[in-house]
Amino acid sequence: MAEYALQMTDIVKSYSGVTVLSNVNFSVRQGEIHALLGENGAGKTTLMNILGGVTPMDSGNIVLFGKEVRLHSPADSQAEGVAFIHQELNVVNDLMVYENMFLGYELRNRAGMLDVREMCRQTEEVFARMNVKINPRAMMSTLETSYKQIVEIAKSLLRNAKLIIMDEPTTSLTQKEIENVFSIMRGLTQEHGVTVIFISHKLTEVVDFCDSYTVLRNGEKVAEGSITQPDGTKISQADLARMMVGKDVLGVNVYKEHEIGEVILEVRDLEVDTRVKGVSFDLHRGEILGFTGLLGDGKEEVVRAIFGDLRKSSGTVRLKGKALNLKHPAQGKKQGIGFLPSNRKENAIIKDLSVQENITIVTLEKFCSGPTLLPSRERKAAEMYREKLGIKVANLKNKITSLSGGNQQKVVLSKWINANSDVMILSNPTQGVDVGAKNEIYSLIMELAQQGMGIIVTSGEPQEILRLCDRVIVMYHGEVRGELSREEISEENLMILSTGGLLH
Amino acid sequence: MQNKDNKDKAAGKPLRSSVAAINRARVSSFFSNYGVIVFTVLLIIVATIINGSTFFNWNNLFNILRSNATIGIIAFGMAFVIISGNIDLSVSSQLVAVSAVTLTFVDLVTPVLGPVLSSAAAVIVGIGMSCALSGLVGVLVTKGRVPSFIVTLGMQYIYRSLCREFMSGGGFTTSTDAYLKISNHSLFGVIPMPIIYFALMFLLYFYISKYTKLGRHIYAVGSNEKATRLSGINTDTIRIISFVLLGFAVGVASITESSRMGSINSTSSGVGYELNAIAMAVVGGIAMEGGKGRIVGVLFGILTLGIINNMLNLIGVSPQIVDAIRGVIIVLAVLLQRKEKDR
Repeated sequence: MAEYALQMTDIVKSYSGVTVLSNVNFSVRQGEIHALLGENGAGKTTLMNILGGVTPMDSGNIVLFGKEVRLHSPADSQAEGVAFIHQELNVVNDLMVYENMFLGYELRNRAGMLDVREMCRQTEEVFARMNVKINPRAMMSTLETSYKQIVEIAKSLLRNAKLIIMDEPTTSLTQKEIENVFSIMRGLTQEHGVTVIFISHKLTEVVDFCDSYTVLRNGEKVAEGSITQPDGTKISQADLARMMVGKDVLGVNVYKEHEIGEVILEVRDLEVDTRVKGVSFDLHRGEILGFTGLLGDGKEEVVRAIFGDLRKSSGTVRLKGKALNLKHPAQGKKQGIGFLPSNRKENAIIKDLSVQENITIVTLEKFCSGPTLLPSRERKAAEMYREKLGIKVANLKNKITSLSGGNQQKVVLSKWINANSDVMILSNPTQGVDVGAKNEIYSLIMELAQQGMGIIVTSGEPQEILRLCDRVIVMYHGEVRGELSREEISEENLMILSTGGLLH
Repeated sequence: MQNKDNKDKAAGKPLRSSVAAINRARVSSFFSNYGVIVFTVLLIIVATIINGSTFFNWNNLFNILRSNATIGIIAFGMAFVIISGNIDLSVSSQLVAVSAVTLTFVDLVTPVLGPVLSSAAAVIVGIGMSCALSGLVGVLVTKGRVPSFIVTLGMQYIYRSLCREFMSGGGFTTSTDAYLKISNHSLFGVIPMPIIYFALMFLLYFYISKYTKLGRHIYAVGSNEKATRLSGINTDTIRIISFVLLGFAVGVASITESSRMGSINSTSSGVGYELNAIAMAVVGGIAMEGGKGRIVGVLFGILTLGIINNMLNLIGVSPQIVDAIRGVIIVLAVLLQRKEKDR
């Protein structure tokens, strides 16, 4: 039996009363590629942050390479041979490769000057160990994304990392690049005894490239094992998906019957540079159409192109039979499309304006008499939405930033409801919203559908799609991978399609 | 032991910090809303105590307003540009260029149209030209994606240099009486006209900032451009219009200044106006990062700096040291308003 590189036992972590990890045991054998799986919020990142010394644990034990360790800071963790490669690449594009490799650890020669030759030599040495050819003096910006990733890995090897954590390293890579990175990782584990923990949502990669897996769900470990099963076959993606999702997560029923009318939005062969490839679909009045898929697989680009925030490269979009050629969101709004963007803080909240002003910003002309804005009219509308949507705010003149996430989301929702659009696009409508407010927002969306609005919901949360949508389109690598009717939607099916699998 | 500490920290921290935040927010919102007004009132009291009736008499008060009217008018426009997230360093040279064109125009067309009509036409030409120049800056900033600091730095050199070339380093004067009258008479024989223009510009810009769709959009763009764009608002247009509003103010200021003096000098006129106008806006609570501040605040920012100048003059402080004191006031004012950022 192979020796363990890492044994984490009885790890407990809670944030202000909410348990994020409860008695998690996590073991990784030396020299393997170990997949850590789970839905968003399952606790993967917290667990890895504990290992990386970023987050302190409440209780538990960590044994690294046979030695019990206490990790109080990222530096402690690094000193024990752990390297954490984050999802966002941590490279400086305007520096050369070797400069990136030694950033913060620059070598100096006896004269106190930078020892460029030695740094290049060591860089080449690491690349040789990894079997890759990159010029140490190449500009970082000239490298492909996968090579940047490889430089990050090389950087951790340079610091003598024996255990490398990779957090969703492949979301920005193409299929070929992914294979490239994995073959290098494989070489490192086999020839140099390096151990890799791999966090990913892409089950195809997990099955193809990993040795074993651990599944977390709601802060608990629910399964672990080898990818290759005793009978010699590999575990199926569907099994993994089922373990990740569990059966017991369906909450309150928010879906209400509503009438679905004629086609209101018609999209044909939509292309957005290389990110969206030939997407076609129809949206009906009163229909809630879901768009799902993994991050970067094109769902956001599709809806942004419909709204006019992105320029489409080709294809047609027809709203109520009229062809649209939008160049700016202002035109989308004018044509009767509403858009609630994802990443509220960045894209939806106007932080210096009050709650009331945020509610009215989309439709200010409705509150004007001639050129003059009438605050009394604004106030009346804002009061109406406060009551109708249950926005909890003491004074509508308070800044929007003083509200909780759920209430902020209701504010940005109401600004678009007031626009009375024909088609409403909701991007991750419950992102960063607590469970209670989530259900309120769902019933609001139901109500809009009952009024005959055509609604598109993009979401990475299978539960959301399941509870809300009449129909869902699953995107994979910029293409439509499949379409499911309400009866066919299941977390398992969504997971299979969005990880590149096919339903029989 | 250590674990327990951590838990306590987790539970206690949000509570304590939120109480502190509320207190801080109260203090800071008081200062950012009323600080400059309180400060101005205090200044008036102090100035009156020190100088007695030499300070507090209508003549002197009018004097303060009149001598700050030109820069003050520019400051109102500057406020919009800063709120929208930009800056304009070219206003001083633009004022010289617009004044030069206006003065030349008056003298040129007076033989044809007569003095009154040509003065009126000159006002329109001057303001129109100023709006167009600022609009151009706006287009370069938004469509050309050049930072406004750079564009207007360049414009400052261009206007000033062209003026010097055409005026051979000297100045233009006008002899058209009607034009001189624009600034050199008093309403009801009491209130000097520059103060009237200043007051009208304040009312207009206050109205735009608070009671129009455009004003709200300008705040929104400066606060979060992305979110504003995704609210279906054409943010480039809003930014260009902010510049045009400044251009309009510079146009009005040019007319006020050139008719008051009856001349403009390519080398010495307007020097430092852009920084003075920015200082007034900033002391008045306009935040350099955009999205924040009120036109009423700017009014009091103008008064604060104007009164300080006047006060120091009356006390007989050496003019060499006046700028240092002004510098201290500017930094102090922003320090007091800054607290809000910590949240």
